[in-house]
Order: sequence, then C-alpha cells, then structure tokens
Amino acid sequence: MKRKVISILLCMTMVTSMLIGCGKSAPADDSSKSDGGTEQSSDGMTQGKNTFVDGGTELSLWTFQELHVAFYTEMADLWNKENPDKPINLTVTTGESHSLHSKLLVACQAGEGTPDMADIEVGYYGAFLKDDYLLPLNDVVEPYEDEIVMSRVEMYGKDDNWYGIDFHLGASVCYYNMDIMNEAGVDPADIVTWDDYFKAGEQVLEKTGKPMCAVETADLFLPQMMLLEKGVQYVDDKGQPNIDTKEHAEAIEYIRKMIDAGICEVAPGGGFHMEEWYGHLNGGGVASLAMPLWYMGRFTDYCPDLKGKMGIYEIPVWNEGDTREVLQGGTGTSVIKYTEQEDLAKEFLAFAKLSEEGNKYEWDVLGFDPIRTSLWDDPEITNDPDNKFLQYFTTNPFDIIKKNGTDLTAPNISGGYSAAYSVLVTTTYVNAFEASPDEDAAELLKNEQASIIYE
Amino acid sequence: MAKKRSYISTVLLIFFFAVVALIMLLPLILLLVSSFRAGSDLMRYGLNFNIDWANAHIENYKLLFSGQNNYFVWYKNSLVITVAQLVLALFLSACVGYGFAMYDFRFKNLLFGCVLLVMMIPTEIIILPLYRLIINMNVMDSMWGIILPYMVVPMLIFFFRQYLSGIPKDFLDAARVDGCSEYGIFLRIMMPLMKPSFAAMGIYQGMQSWNNFLWPMIVMRSQNKITLPVGLQSLMSPYGNNYDILIAGSCFAIIPILILFACFQSYFIEGMTAGGVKG
Amino acid sequence: MQKKSIFSRFLYSQKAAPYVFVLPFVLTFLIFFAYPVINTIMMSFQKVAGGEATFAGVSNYHTLMNPVFYKCLKNSAFYTVISCALMIPIPMVLAAMLNSKAMRAKGFFRSIMFIPALTSVVVAGVVFRLMFGELEGSFMNQVLAFFGQDPLVWLRKPVTVWITLFILCLWRWTGVNMMYYLSGLQQIPEDLYESADIDGANSLQKFRFITLPLLKPTTVYVLTISIFGGMAMFTESYLLFNGNKSPNNVGTTIVGYLYRMGMEQNNIGIGCAIGVVLLLIVMVINVIQLAFNGTFKKGE
Repeated sequence: MKRKVISILLCMTMVTSMLIGCGKSAPADDSSKSDGGTEQSSDGMTQGKNTFVDGGTELSLWTFQELHVAFYTEMADLWNKENPDKPINLTVTTGESHSLHSKLLVACQAGEGTPDMADIEVGYYGAFLKDDYLLPLNDVVEPYEDEIVMSRVEMYGKDDNWYGIDFHLGASVCYYNMDIMNEAGVDPADIVTWDDYFKAGEQVLEKTGKPMCAVETADLFLPQMMLLEKGVQYVDDKGQPNIDTKEHAEAIEYIRKMIDAGICEVAPGGGFHMEEWYGHLNGGGVASLAMPLWYMGRFTDYCPDLKGKMGIYEIPVWNEGDTREVLQGGTGTSVIKYTEQEDLAKEFLAFAKLSEEGNKYEWDVLGFDPIRTSLWDDPEITNDPDNKFLQYFTTNPFDIIKKNGTDLTAPNISGGYSAAYSVLVTTTYVNAFEASPDEDAAELLKNEQASIIYE
Repeated sequence: MAKKRSYISTVLLIFFFAVVALIMLLPLILLLVSSFRAGSDLMRYGLNFNIDWANAHIENYKLLFSGQNNYFVWYKNSLVITVAQLVLALFLSACVGYGFAMYDFRFKNLLFGCVLLVMMIPTEIIILPLYRLIINMNVMDSMWGIILPYMVVPMLIFFFRQYLSGIPKDFLDAARVDGCSEYGIFLRIMMPLMKPSFAAMGIYQGMQSWNNFLWPMIVMRSQNKITLPVGLQSLMSPYGNNYDILIAGSCFAIIPILILFACFQSYFIEGMTAGGVKG
Repeated sequence: MQKKSIFSRFLYSQKAAPYVFVLPFVLTFLIFFAYPVINTIMMSFQKVAGGEATFAGVSNYHTLMNPVFYKCLKNSAFYTVISCALMIPIPMVLAAMLNSKAMRAKGFFRSIMFIPALTSVVVAGVVFRLMFGELEGSFMNQVLAFFGQDPLVWLRKPVTVWITLFILCLWRWTGVNMMYYLSGLQQIPEDLYESADIDGANSLQKFRFITLPLLKPTTVYVLTISIFGGMAMFTESYLLFNGNKSPNNVGTTIVGYLYRMGMEQNNIGIGCAIGVVLLLIVMVINVIQLAFNGTFKKGE
C-alpha cells in the first residue's frame, strides 16, 4: 500500500514539474526553426537563439555569463539584417564558468564536441593559446584597427597573431565613496601617486575610522594593477611563469605597509566578487576601490545604497607623469580551430564585438567601457541621461579613458599565465597578506614560483 | 526509589536529545526562515535568525515558480535521471545479485571478488579516464553519460545477493518442474519475493542519484540539462545575484524528501543504512 | 521435445542462465571500471598534449613531489583520522543512550537525527557556507558574540576551516552512524544485560564489557565506510569554498587536487598519477583491513 503511494507521489511530482518545466521554457533540443530566445535570456534562460532564418548557417557559441546570451543573439539578428546573403542561426549555450572552461579545454584536446566560438576568461586563456586550439583573427580585425584600442586585442595573441576579441576595454579606475571622502576632507582628484593615496588613507582612517582600500586574497586585481603600472607581468617574454620578480615583491611590500597602517584591509570574503564583500561595500565599509570599469555593473547590481555617492577617478601611479590607466580582467571570444565555418564565425565575431552597434549594446546594457574610440566622443553615449551607469556615478568614466588615450599596458596572458594565476589566487596572496604577513616577500615569491606546475 | 531514579533519567535523557535534535534541525530551520527574506538582505547581514517578520515575504518563492529561471528545468532533469537510473540500477543489479545467489558457475568467486573490489575503490579515482570515455562514446552532455557508468551498482548487487541467499533453492526446482524458464522464474517468482528489498534499495539508490553532484557536474555542460544539485551550486557564482532563488530553491529541494520521509520513515532508515551490520 | 528451438533451449538452460544474469555486471565492470583503471595507470606515465600522448616515464610522479600535493595528502589523511575519531564514539554513545530503557519517544528523536542525511550535500554546503560566513551577522559569529567573543573569519583560517568541515561531517552523518549502532544494539541479547544486573554491574560496566565488544562488527563497518569516505572527500570542500579553491589549500584534498590537475588545468597525466597514488593508498588500507577482520569475506 505504502509503496503504491510512493510511486503515485513520485509520478505526480514528475508530471507537475514537467508541466512547469515545459510550459515556461523552450526545450533546448528543438533544433528546427525557433522563434528566437532573446526575450528571456536576460533573466536566466540559458540556451539562447537568434531568430532563425531559412538557409542560415548554424553556428554555436559557449559562454559562462548569462548576460552575454542576449548580446550575441541580438547581434546575430542584426547581422542577418545587414548580411541577408549569408545569414546565421546562432545557438548560445551557457554554463557555470569553472566547469565550462574545463570542459572546453578537454573538448579541444579531444578535438571533438567543441563549439564554433567560445568566451574564454583571461585566467584560462593561456591554456588555450598554448596548445593552438584557436584561430587567428587578424584578417577580420584589421579593417577595424584604427578605430579600436589595439592593446586590448593584442593581449589575446602570440607571434603577431590575434586570437580573441574582448567585450570591453577594461580600463582600471579608482572608485571613491564620496560620503567618506567628504567626511575625511579628501578630494580624490588631488590623489596622483600611491604615496598621495597612502597619505589620504591615513587621513580617512583618522577622521572616519574606515580603511581606504581593500586587497583580495582570492584574486589579483590590486597587485596586478601595481605591477602593470611598473610594466611587469606574471609571465616572462617566452611565456614561462615568472612571479618571482623584484617589482612583485615591492608591490606586495607596499600593500603590506598599507595593511600595517590600517588603511588597507583584506577584503571580506577574500575577493571582490564575494557575497561578504558586496555587503561590506554597500554598507560603506571601505572608502575606495581600484577595479576596472566593468565593475560598474557590480555596483548597480549589488550596491543600491551607494547610488549617487560613488565617484570614478584615475588610479594612483608610482611616479607623477605615468599613464594613469592599465587594462585588467576580461574575456576573449575566440573561434575554435575545429569549426567548419571558419570565415563566417570570424566575420560575425568581429562584427559583434568591434562594430559600433555591438559596442553601443555592450555599454548600454552591460556597462562595458567601449573598445571603439569613436564612442568616447559621441555625446549621445557619453552624456546619455538615461544610462543607468552614468546616473549611478557622480563623475563620467569617459573623461578618464579619453584622457589616457590608447597606448595602454595590458596583462600578458600567454603561456603559463593560467598556471601562474591558479597559484597566485589560491596561495600566493593568501600567504602574502593573511597567513604569513611577516615572511620576507622575495622569499615567499621564490617558494610560490616553485609550486607552479607548468610544462 | 528505583522508579523515581528512572523518572529523573528519563527527563534528563529527553532533555538531552531535545537539545541534540534542535541542533540537528537548526541549519534547516535557518534555511527555511531565510527563504522569506530578500537575497540582498542576506548578502548584507548574513544568514541568521534576525528576521523582521513584518517584512517577511514570499517573493522568493514567487520568483521560483515564475518560470523565469531554470529551477524547475533542473528539478525535472533530476527527477528524470533519478527515476531512469533507479529503474535500471534496481533491475540490473537484482539480476546480477540473483545470479550470484542462486547459481554455481565458473568464475563465480572471481567475479564476486570484482564486485567487492568495485565497492571498495572510490570512483573518484577514475573520473579522468571515465570522462574521456564518455566523450569518446559521444554521450557527453546527455543523461546517458550520467547513467551508463553507474547502471549496475555493486552495493545493490551485494545487498540483493545477501537477501536472496535466505530463500531456499528448492523453490527454483519446484518452478522448473512447473515448466518455467530460468528467466521466467526470476521475473515472475523471484521479483515479487524481492519486493521488500526493492523498497529499501530503491530509497538508497534514489537518494544517491538525487543528491549526486560530482559526476553530473562533469558530464553536463548546458545550463538547461544539469541536475538540481549542480544547478543550485552554479547559483553561487560570482556572475549574478541569485540568492533569492538559491535559498528558496534549496528549501524547495528538500521539502519533498522530508514529506516522503515523514510518510515512509522505516523504509528510508532501512534503505539508507542497508549494507551495514548484516554483512 | 527434441524439436525445441535453440532459443528455447537457451531459455531453459541452467548452464547459460547465470552468465546471462551476471552479464550486465561483467560488461559495466570491464567498460566502466577495469578499462578506466588500466587507462589511469597508463596515462600516469604519459604526457598528453594537443591530442597526442607520449611516454614520459615517471616524470608525472616526479612533478607530484611538490609541497602542494603533500599538503593535500596530509589534509585527506587528517580529515579521515579525525572524522573516524569523531564519527564512531559519538554516534555509539548516542545510540546507547537512545536505546536506554528510560528513554521515551525513541522513534521521534531517531527520525529527527536522521533528517540531515537526507539533505543533499549541496544544500548542506550552501547553508554551512552562509552560516559560517565572516559577516558579523553570520549565524556562527552571532553565536560567538552571544558568548562575548569577536567574530571569526571562519572559512579562511586553517583551524576554523577544519572545525567547520568536522561540524558539517558530524551534522550530516551522526544520524546515519547512530542508526547502524542502533541496529547493532538490537542484536545484543537482552539476557546478557539481565545476568550482568544479577552480578551487580553498573551501567558503565555493562557498556564497557557487553555493549562495546558486541558492537565490534558495527564499528568495523562504520570505520570502513568512514575511511573510504574520508579519503575520497571532495564535494564538501568544493561547496564550502564555492569551487575547488580553498585559500592556501587549507581544505584541498587528494581528489580536489586530482580534479584541479586533471579537469581544470588539463594535466591529465599528473591527474592520473594522483589517481594511482590514491588507488595505492586505498588498496593498502583494504589489505590491512582484510588482514585484521576479513569483514567482507564473511559473506561468502
């Protein structure tokens, strides 16, 4: 009797959930004509399609970020409108970042089951570049060469070939909480060097009791920014991991000095993408934060209380006169070499990422600072009163990117960067700032360098 | 006097277990209470019992049921995979267990040794070659990739064999005389006899499949094919503010099991602890 | 009778039947167990890059001799030892107490204690990750505050990471292990206790001289599953740290390192070498275990 009830219960749950499941979402394996999945993609639909057209070429793309699905499908529709002679039917699949990258890597290695294109985060990019799984994009990027910031494209490359195109410029800036700044009597515009920043931090601490900034132990943005300003990378010219450098030790010592003075804290949660950190930031627990411009979206999403209180300024540098902008983070979209639609995939990719339309979408919806310089001077973009990012911040980010131009330092992510990254964010910075803050930085980096496994 | 002492120890024991039970339930109560709070609230103030009941709301559950997310797609995937794996594993393992219990044949001891060997070696050791195998078999990102390697479960074989060894073999001979084929005996006579063990083992295997995490995470790639545990885990990603669905979804993931447990406690306990002691 | 088709002869053949019945096992064993195991061993001596595998001697094992891998080995061993030390006495004593004649509402408490085992490890991980969050308002920090202590950064310091892992382990498995002991207790004949009563033994003596020795088979079983569970631990750590990335590898286990090398960094050869090391460890434990108890042999 009871067993009967079990099976009935099970069946009922199954039927109801199937009804719910099917009623509200388009089944994925519906490979025939689909009516476009863009309308739902922003709120969690995971497999997106553009409006399929007869005779369109099938293309597939993997991404780890759900917000990118709508971007690609919309761009595919636009492409079909502008190129009726070679329409595409694009299917975008998303998955959890970590496992998606692993799976892509293994699929590449097996040479089977890869998509035509994929979003690859910088931390993982080196591994794909190393074994030549990607196709060079030079021929499709060259027509745009004069209109975009090339250091963003060149970073996804080796031997004069470019393999990936990013969503954004990824210019690093300093976000200041103006409430705290005003209370402490500091004008962020006066801060130029790290030493200025340090002094301002002392004043902030004294007047408000709050730390000036935070450093991550589970990620690398602050130390990497300091290193890039010095022109130093985590890998050497041959792509071998090289984190044991004098400059790196100096950057670590400088951050330690700030921590000892109480003007820098280890970010709650260990990183700038952790739940504890967002709460801390939103609650006004820290006076400033140096991160790339794409972090604006995190403010609008997670820090509603700071609206109208945050100012965006240039980052501090080591010496007066240095370029006060570096490029950090990012996601390179690449064409995988096993594709059967090489030319079409490359052309579409360049169109989506480098065209005016694509860049406008990226800025308006995703809050990504455009890689196309023409948008920087377009008042419809830079002074758009309806833009939620411009509304949120008290200063205009375009002032900074216009001022610093296009000759910018980007991370070298080739070869052993992935392997180095993995060690840096699991052990190096934990040791440096939290576990053994008294160990000599040079000694510490020597040990960390030794634990990188790269061949 | 003795009666009074036992009365005191009863009170003490009950008090002690009440405290233990409370501690055991605490995380789940915390989860339930928090599911009525806004996700942004949790992010700011942490997971705790400070809930402002006046502002408590069921928005999270509304969101969960709104169909604007994959939650019930995952739920369905989990159910389908669990049921398919359950049916296959129970039937096939029962076959094998029956073969081991009722017949004598060459290599029997060697083969049963293999069953024990598989039982004793954690599957995590072979996930890498297994993963490549699944790719080569072209069942990546499909439910068969999850089910195929675990179609026959050594634990179940062991249990069924144990259970069947209590049934006298004369039974079989009687059936043979009646003209039953070997397989007819199994299907028509033995399977009904094995019903009680099916219930316990069904729950054991059902819980295993429903809660399985590592292997489905490796096999499934598309967000709309993953199972509930993998889906819930993916909500903890830094790329989105998903706490509303995460907490309410976690709650809703255990409620059906708790209801089933309340109705069929003894089967659950027997199933989940099967294999112990009697071995 | 002689006209019986081959097919029906086959259906009635007592010789063929057992092989048909065990066939599903033989197939899955060969394809999904034996082949991968052999593959693991072979690949552990290879370098796999760009779809090409080349023989690399013991270089993968050589690479493994690094501090991180030693740390993961130590972590797994530590987790296994301590979880065994916790997960045997505590459930045993609880079971004995629950089984006591003075106890009422046994069934009710037994069920409540069992509930955590029903919870998916993912849900448990989510709750514990948030409970042990580092915000002042996170539940465990509130508990500390109640006792006048400062909030802790639970999941980023070694000691508190281990405390959290063991609390999670205790929470999930106490109920199940207690159930094993309860059924073990049920099999102890009542008259043993009665004769002990006559001899004037107190409860402690009864526990020491009757309950404990007679629970040995149960203890051996619980020990076995705890050891294997401990050595293969991965998911708990994966969820608590929201990915396979505990700070400074405080909570990275052997399987975690295998996953990192093999899946995340695609060093299949090294991943397989880790698998072989783990396989050897497990085999050694099995041999020791068989030598001492012969638990699994008893079923024969």
